[in-house]
Amino acid sequence: MNFLTPLFLIGGLALAGPLIFHLIRRTTRERTVFSSLMFLLPTPPRLSKRSKLEHLLLLALRCLALALLALGFARPFLKNNPPLDPTAAPPKRTVILVDTSASMRRAGAWDAARERVDAVLRRAAPTDEVALYAFDRAATALVSFEEWGRAAPGGRAALVTGRLASAAPSWHGTHLGTALIAAAEALAESDGKRAPGPRQIILVSDLQAGSRLDALQAYEWPKGVALTVEAITARRSTNAGLQLVAEALDAPRTAETVVRVRVTNSADAQREQFQVGWARAETKDGFVGKPLDAYVPPGQSRIVALPVPKDAAGLDRIVLRGDDEDFDNTVYVVPPVPQKATVLWFGADAPEDARQPLFFVRRALASVPRFVVRVDALAPAAPLAPGAAREAAVVFVAEALPETTVAELRAAALAGKTIVFAPKTAAAVATLGAVLGGAAVGATEAKVANYAMFADIDFQHPLFAPFADPKFSDFTKIRFWKYRKLDAAQLPGARALAKFDNGDPALLEVPLGAGRVLVFAGGWQPEDSQLAVSSKFVPLMQSLLEIAAGAALAPAQAFVGDELPKPAGEGATLRGPLGAPVAMTAAVALAQPGIHELTVAVPASTTRFAVNLDPNESRTAPLGVDELERLGLPVMAPVDPKALPAAAVELLQAADAENRQKLWRWLLVAALGVLLIESIFAGWTARRQIVTTPETPSP
Amino acid sequence: MTAAPAAPSAPAAAPTRSASLIDPQALMSIRSLELRARAVVHGLWNGLHRSPYHGFSVEFTEYRAYTAGDDLRHLDWRVFARSDRYFIKKYEDETNLRCHLLVDQSRSMDYGTRGFTKANYAATLAATLAYFLHLQGDAVGLLTFAEEVRDFLPARNRRSHLRQLMLALEKPAAGRATNLAAPMERITALVRKRGLVALVSDFLAPLDRLERDLSALAACGHEVVAFQVLDPAELNFGLEQPAMFEDVESGRTLYLDPAAARAGYVKKFEAHCAALRATCRKLGVGYHLVSADQPLEVALFEFLQERMRRGRQFRPGARGGAA
Repeated sequence: MNFLTPLFLIGGLALAGPLIFHLIRRTTRERTVFSSLMFLLPTPPRLSKRSKLEHLLLLALRCLALALLALGFARPFLKNNPPLDPTAAPPKRTVILVDTSASMRRAGAWDAARERVDAVLRRAAPTDEVALYAFDRAATALVSFEEWGRAAPGGRAALVTGRLASAAPSWHGTHLGTALIAAAEALAESDGKRAPGPRQIILVSDLQAGSRLDALQAYEWPKGVALTVEAITARRSTNAGLQLVAEALDAPRTAETVVRVRVTNSADAQREQFQVGWARAETKDGFVGKPLDAYVPPGQSRIVALPVPKDAAGLDRIVLRGDDEDFDNTVYVVPPVPQKATVLWFGADAPEDARQPLFFVRRALASVPRFVVRVDALAPAAPLAPGAAREAAVVFVAEALPETTVAELRAAALAGKTIVFAPKTAAAVATLGAVLGGAAVGATEAKVANYAMFADIDFQHPLFAPFADPKFSDFTKIRFWKYRKLDAAQLPGARALAKFDNGDPALLEVPLGAGRVLVFAGGWQPEDSQLAVSSKFVPLMQSLLEIAAGAALAPAQAFVGDELPKPAGEGATLRGPLGAPVAMTAAVALAQPGIHELTVAVPASTTRFAVNLDPNESRTAPLGVDELERLGLPVMAPVDPKALPAAAVELLQAADAENRQKLWRWLLVAALGVLLIESIFAGWTARRQIVTTPETPSP
Repeated sequence: MTAAPAAPSAPAAAPTRSASLIDPQALMSIRSLELRARAVVHGLWNGLHRSPYHGFSVEFTEYRAYTAGDDLRHLDWRVFARSDRYFIKKYEDETNLRCHLLVDQSRSMDYGTRGFTKANYAATLAATLAYFLHLQGDAVGLLTFAEEVRDFLPARNRRSHLRQLMLALEKPAAGRATNLAAPMERITALVRKRGLVALVSDFLAPLDRLERDLSALAACGHEVVAFQVLDPAELNFGLEQPAMFEDVESGRTLYLDPAAARAGYVKKFEAHCAALRATCRKLGVGYHLVSADQPLEVALFEFLQERMRRGRQFRPGARGGAA
């Protein structure tokens, strides 16, 4: 028999206690009063002779109880013996959660992770159940419990190792919280099907500070699921990352413009001096143009304004040099290509007349970043070139139009275009009826007592969505002196996007075929209202152009893991940075950083956009385990047999054997039994003594 | 003393027939203290009548020359016939005795192993003395004490006074210590007229000041007699079981094995008693060690007997005021 904590055997010395106490004449608890103790001295307890040991059976019972306790505390176990306790050490259920996020691309991290997984597999008992999950943005089961159970016991470790070998770090961010929840759920699902044993998650990760844990905030961690963190330590700790500062994307790239990038240095970095510069795909180590030096202390970030070189053609990335880890040292940049949009204006306005609506529309649409807008002002009676209305993004109508033009506009609206009616007079409203298919639409000049203002605005509509924030939703300062009173009932399917404070419709949307007709009851020119000179007008016009021109095919800037929705046209193909174009039949998750090209066959268009790494992946400083504990996860210390000396390994094995056998429980039960017998016997002896002892005279 | 027949020169012979003696345990079962005293005194009377020593009362002490004004009834005519001179015959019982009983009522007296306490025994002894003296027409006073003086009754010879005295004696023992100096100082201060002072106590207290206080009493002309009342268990420490012993007075506890502690106790106790006895002898104070298992008649008889003997040897005062 061996002992896990043999020092407790010293407790066996307590056996001397009962022996001494049995040798000492019992100190009575009886009290006897005496007239005066002035002639008396206290009597020391007297030792009987050895031969006068009394109550030998009691003594033996007490010694036995103490000996059993000492043995139990010494945690005895039998080496190389099967567990005596069939319930001892039930099979463990383990989920190995391996980090495959982009930060695991750091030198040596992935190899270290595989080694850790191998070590975990070596430690697993034959009866244990193991599942292997890889995670970055989401957790994926590489080997499920069922697969582990189906595999032959000898081939299970090979199965896991093989599956892990086929995996590799991705370019995704680290959504650790989601992955932990998925692993816990996997353990919870497998619970109940078989006898529950210890359940644990072994997290093999670099546990970078950029890991997202917010999913755990609202998650109640299941009881009985322990978490062991096998933290991977990078060989080199310095890691700086690049991130485009969003504002720079919207600026046109010219010789004068700069692109601003944020250089972030990890908290445990050894270096502080970096270089940032432009590069091309074919550039290996150098820069195109002159790089900028960036001094970034550990744990801090600096924004570097990088001027765009004159020969900017083909420049699609900004790189960072001077860093140990290069997985996040490139940020891809695609300058946004402005979309050409034509706006038709039907009205008799003089272009530079500041009292006319056209004057304000020209200026409001001139600064839309996504579009290069051309406003074509046409006289109401002027003939309209065939197809011109269909090519225009928006058509504004302020006056009554001839029938041919009306037919063109109607056809364009039916094809999906947006026609905006802003009738200057009530008479011009008749054209609206013609465009809507001959409906009798009439309007009268409203009688405004003082002024009218917007009320009851539908902020859910895309037109007003940019104003939904309470900071921007105040339209009460815009006053209307004149407007045309429309009857919404005359417009089929009309929906009031805004109403005046007296309930009259202010802005109506009438669907027409694939397109729509928007009707402003009051104009924005100063004669009618203050709308044009308010801060709401430009965003409103831009929003109008956005919904009229339709959404962009792809975002200008995307991150790895973002989902690219299928574009509206047909024959869409996506070509990533690695290779051949892939036909898009559904939304595609972007998996690679780099320049992507989205091509739509009908209508023919091509959009290039950059996909970059999640900036959080650059925050590679280790996350404290206490952060996980703070979220309520029961984190256990990892065991690394390689890092332990031989004696410690032996101790671990002994602890494991002892844990399986749990002989101490039987010893404790035996000690309690002996104590019970001792109590009964001692009570019986005491009663017998009381009966046989003659009464002492009372004072 | 007028009533008792006296035989002062008789040697000590206690009422030896034990059948006539009352067992203290039986005596203490009588609830009334006065009845107890009466029972003892009557038993003693009977014993005395049977004994060859008859009384000790009217007793010749000395002659003195007749001076004009002396009562002619006391003229000894026989001496005149023989010598033709006038002598007055002087008797020591010319004055009534004034006796003060000093009774210890401290907590240490509240101890006993015979079914009654030393306090009961001491009270009975004092009551017996009081009753005896009362019957003789002597004045009896009482002073009870513990740490301090508790009750004081001046010496009188009245029936009602005796009852008051009995009531004071029946009070339970109290007090945390025995202070022997306080009663003696008080009695010295209060009682100017010479008389008998009987001190009834267990004397289980330091004897440092005892000699000084006793000598003060004796110097005042009092005849002092000390009764040391002790329980048999105190005399030989006759306890068997080891136990936590608690001091009745101080509450102090000690673990004691009587078998181990007995020798030391007896030695110290005997030394204490010897010191007390020596002090008494030195000052001419009568000393009586009374064990609580001893019949009261014996104690009383020994007291009377010794008193008679001492009266013959030592007569303080010119007129012979002490009986």
